[in-house]
Amino acid sequence: MVGSATLHTAMAEIVVGSMVLATICAIGCLASRILTPSEINSESLFITMDRASLAGSSLALLFLPVAIMTGNLAAEGHAESALLYNKFVYSGLALGFWSAFVIGRYRMGPGLWDVRQLAILQAATAVSAFLMTSMASSIGGKLVRGESLFDILPFWLPSDSAAILPLWASSSLLLLGLISTFFVFRLTLPRIQEID
Amino acid sequence: MNRIAIVMLLCISLVLAPGYSVANPGGNGDADRDYSCGGSCHGDPSLSMQSDAKIEISLGNEAFYGQAVAVHVTVSEVSSPTNIFGIFILSSLNGNSDTPEDYGWHMIQDPNGGSSNYIEMTMPSSGTITATWVMLTPEDLGSHILYAEIHHGSYGGEKAYSGVSEGFEVIVNEVPEGLPGISSDWVAPSFRVSGDDSPLHISTRNSTDISVEWMLEGEWDPISAPVQCISEPGEEICNEWEVNIPATMGEIDIVYRITTFNGTFSIEQPWLKMGTAAPPFEGDIWSARAHSFAFALLVISILVTLQGRLSPVIQREEIDQTKIVDKSPLIRSDDNPGWLWNPVAEEWVEDPEYREEVE
Repeated sequence: MVGSATLHTAMAEIVVGSMVLATICAIGCLASRILTPSEINSESLFITMDRASLAGSSLALLFLPVAIMTGNLAAEGHAESALLYNKFVYSGLALGFWSAFVIGRYRMGPGLWDVRQLAILQAATAVSAFLMTSMASSIGGKLVRGESLFDILPFWLPSDSAAILPLWASSSLLLLGLISTFFVFRLTLPRIQEID
Repeated sequence: MNRIAIVMLLCISLVLAPGYSVANPGGNGDADRDYSCGGSCHGDPSLSMQSDAKIEISLGNEAFYGQAVAVHVTVSEVSSPTNIFGIFILSSLNGNSDTPEDYGWHMIQDPNGGSSNYIEMTMPSSGTITATWVMLTPEDLGSHILYAEIHHGSYGGEKAYSGVSEGFEVIVNEVPEGLPGISSDWVAPSFRVSGDDSPLHISTRNSTDISVEWMLEGEWDPISAPVQCISEPGEEICNEWEVNIPATMGEIDIVYRITTFNGTFSIEQPWLKMGTAAPPFEGDIWSARAHSFAFALLVISILVTLQGRLSPVIQREEIDQTKIVDKSPLIRSDDNPGWLWNPVAEEWVEDPEYREEVE
């Protein structure tokens, strides 16, 4: 029987690997549309990167809930430190950014990279998702091994202290999130079409 | 070809960048551990190396039967410095059941404020560490041996270093009947929560009175703390005490020393340390889960809205006013093909249907 902590590590590795691919390819797609076409910056390379970013992000999105669930089980029902609490929060943010990335690409098609503002938004979404997932993973490293790759970087997003919300406040926030998501999809779903 | 070489070089550099290490560079935490940590890397001859550090043990005060004694372990001259040092105090090198408590000692306080025989410390820039354990001596009089062992890595992380001191003999002397001291059941508290000024409980034996001096770590001028006996009133011997030491905030450590009295006896105990802990974390797992999914949904909402706002397909729909024109009371005139008369605005507007017919 494999422990939930081991399974969580495996799932997190799949998510991080897929996400790195998706992020690099998303930035590549943006660069491909900003830079002038050349022998390297070809249409076939752009199509490959676009599909790779979609595949990577979809895979990350598929495994992220599994990683979150196994992480929940590994935490044994306790949010016993600010680090662990923040791991939950950063995981949620990562899930949000990855979902938005996949939803945007799926609904608007590869043509979204041709609209400069949308391409910048899409690449920024991928980079934010990368940052959030990296933070959640780094907190895992801090909890288990006492060190993280982020230790050598000159910046570090807040993780040692947490803005704890009481259950009623976080439940209200969740309700607000549900309502806003419902209205956003209700209002934009019939309107956004694939960009030619 | 040149490009392939650059990619290959980059890949090889990335593979070689992290050093080979099987260690736990963050340490394993303070705990009661036997010699060589029960088969850890430091105890495995194929993975470990002998540390060249100089390890010395000394006593802070003479050891008397049942009395507290401060045992100082000094580690210096380490040629392969590392960030975290693990230091053991042991009573034998058997490899099992060799902690001082297994040999009759009673741990009052370890150098980090806890009550473990293995502690982890950070090496200061001076390159010398002194760790002090405060223990009650065993009940057996005579000779007792103590060892100090160290575990550390190196910046390269290629080996687990291990070193052990020579055996240090502690002679436990006999004491007169009724000598006051610290109770063998009492363990000094390692931390108090920040802002907590509740009295400190101290258990003694054979004492008629105690005094407690305290000061912040690093200061030199101790202050007397108010003490009160909480044993049954009317008894001459009092072994349960409450001491009021002011609350601390932040990362301040307080050091304090108990002096026990009984008649003409006045025994100064070793200095003890008490840290300041942050208030316990009060986060709730369900709150964290709800918080997490709320952020996920809010981020999705914001980004999907932004995508909708920036989408050119939507903008085109907003500009297209064909349906509005269809429903308006515009009048078609055969005299002006391709144009419609708007009687409200009193102006001619283009006829979209006519344009389509032309196309």
